[in-house]
This record gives sequence, C-alpha cells and structure tokens, in this order.
Amino acid sequence: MPASSSLTCLIVDDQQTIRSLVRTGLQQLGFRNIFDAPDGEDGLRQMLARPVHLVISDYNMPKLDGLGLLRAIRSHPPIQKTAFIMLTGRADKELVQRAVQFGVNNYLVKPFTVQTLKEKIEAIFGVLA
Amino acid sequence: MSHAASDDSPGVERKIHVIQGEFHVAEGDDVMLTTILGSCVAACMRDPKARVGGMNHFLLPGATGDEGLRYGVQSMELLVNALLRRGARRERLEVKLFGGAHLFDGLSDVGAQNSEFGERFLRDEGLSYHGGSLRGERARRIQYWPGSGRARQILLAPAETTVFAAERRPTATPVVDSGGLELF
Repeated sequence: MPASSSLTCLIVDDQQTIRSLVRTGLQQLGFRNIFDAPDGEDGLRQMLARPVHLVISDYNMPKLDGLGLLRAIRSHPPIQKTAFIMLTGRADKELVQRAVQFGVNNYLVKPFTVQTLKEKIEAIFGVLA
Repeated sequence: MSHAASDDSPGVERKIHVIQGEFHVAEGDDVMLTTILGSCVAACMRDPKARVGGMNHFLLPGATGDEGLRYGVQSMELLVNALLRRGARRERLEVKLFGGAHLFDGLSDVGAQNSEFGERFLRDEGLSYHGGSLRGERARRIQYWPGSGRARQILLAPAETTVFAAERRPTATPVVDSGGLELF
C-alpha cells in the first residue's frame, strides 16, 4: 500500500486551469510532490532531470503531444517504467487504443472527479494510504 | 466588442446555432455562429491568421461534477483544442466573452460567477481578450462571424424572455466516460 505522500507526480497540460485542477485533486489524495509542465517537450526535459513515479498528461498539446511524450518516455530506459495516465477530452477510443500500443497505464476522461482520479491511480499503484 | 445592429452581412450562407452546453468551430467568411444567452456565457474565439474560429456556450463556472460541457473549464478546453486541431495557434487566439446576465432577483448570481470564470480563464491561460459584453440584466442574442471576428449583440427586451426560456431546454446527456474502457 503506497503512501500517496511518497509518490511524485508530473502533470503535463497546456492549460493552466487543468493543471491547477489536477494538482488540487492530487493534493486532496495526499500527494505532496507535484510538478507540472505546459507541454510534452518541457515535461520530458523535467523527467530526464528529475524522474517521477507518475505522469498525468493531456493529449492535445503544442510541441510534443501526449502520445509523443508517452513514446519518448518509453524509449528512454531511465524513465521508461514511469506510470502514465493519459487525459482525454472525450471518450476517444481510437486515441486510447493508440496509447495502449505505446504503453499507457490508464486513461482519464475529462471532466473527472477526485474519486475517479483516485481509482485510476490505484489501478496502477494499488490502494493509496 | 458588440457592434451596431446594422445588417451589413450579405453573403452569409450558413447560420449555426450553438445551444447550451455545446460548441462549434467553423472557418470561412460565409459562416455565422449564433446563440442566446441569459446567465450563461459564450466565448467567441478565432485565430485571424488561420482564419478559423468558434463559439461555445456554458452554463456554470468551474469544473466540478460529471456534466461535461455544461461547465466552463471543459467547454473552454474543448473549444480551444478544436481550434488548435484546425490550425489555430494559442498565442494568436482572440477571444470575446458575452453573457453572464443576472436575470432573476433572489437567485444566486450565476451570471456573475460565469463572467468571473470566463475572465479568469483568459487571464490564467494567457489568452487575448478582445472585449465583448458581460453581466447586466438582459438576455442577449449573439451573432459571431469567425471569419472576420465581427460580433453583434442584440439585447432582448424583458418581454422576449419567453424566447430565452424556450432556449433553456434540457441538454442532451453529456458525453462522459470515465471508465467505459477499463484498461487494468
């Protein structure tokens, strides 16, 4: 049973509003070490400098989108096992299927509740303490 | 900014009505997007270089709940993303905001909350605010030409609130799927 306070998370989304919402949700779940990035390129740069346990990333982003970020992470051995949750604007099954091919761990359709966020994280890490 | 109501828009061939909880993106000079607003807010956005624009229509501020596009955060994000997919660039987006009226005394001022949300969203996201018309006590009909960025506001007379009331029909079931395809 991992303690959420011991998990580090990177939120990648080009919208500040969404980053704030996800951050607030994670804080409600007990996360303390939360970082964020406005696009996949910045997110990857941050991860290579400071690996995290979990990435929660939007799909639609400039420079490097969510799928590109996922592929880049899976191709960099030091960070390739990082848990990855893809945020999608709608229930886009084609996108989810492509993300599955690239090794996504789970996905989250916006808008979501904190409970849904918790369930998606627990599906990867087990029940959070 | 709202403009005078002179009808100098010959050549409009397509008129698209954006109802509550929806958004629409279009390109070309022959398209007009229109909606009717009470306490709801509509954002009219366009990229003048990509010549693509759109309009949304949200009912409530914030993001809580599972009611999707009824909420501002979701509605704004989907509109922005739809524009980006059509070639728009975030830094070039020009946004006008309309609506947010306080129509009925005694009820919480959802219109003010929607207006504040819209303005805050633009500030937080660094989007360029190109005016519009928020708050007040009258319902509005908004017409927006995404090709030119021109907008027209027509304030509805109090007696015309029946038109507005007719507009407030229930929205379709929102597209929300938080687990229809569970992976693990």
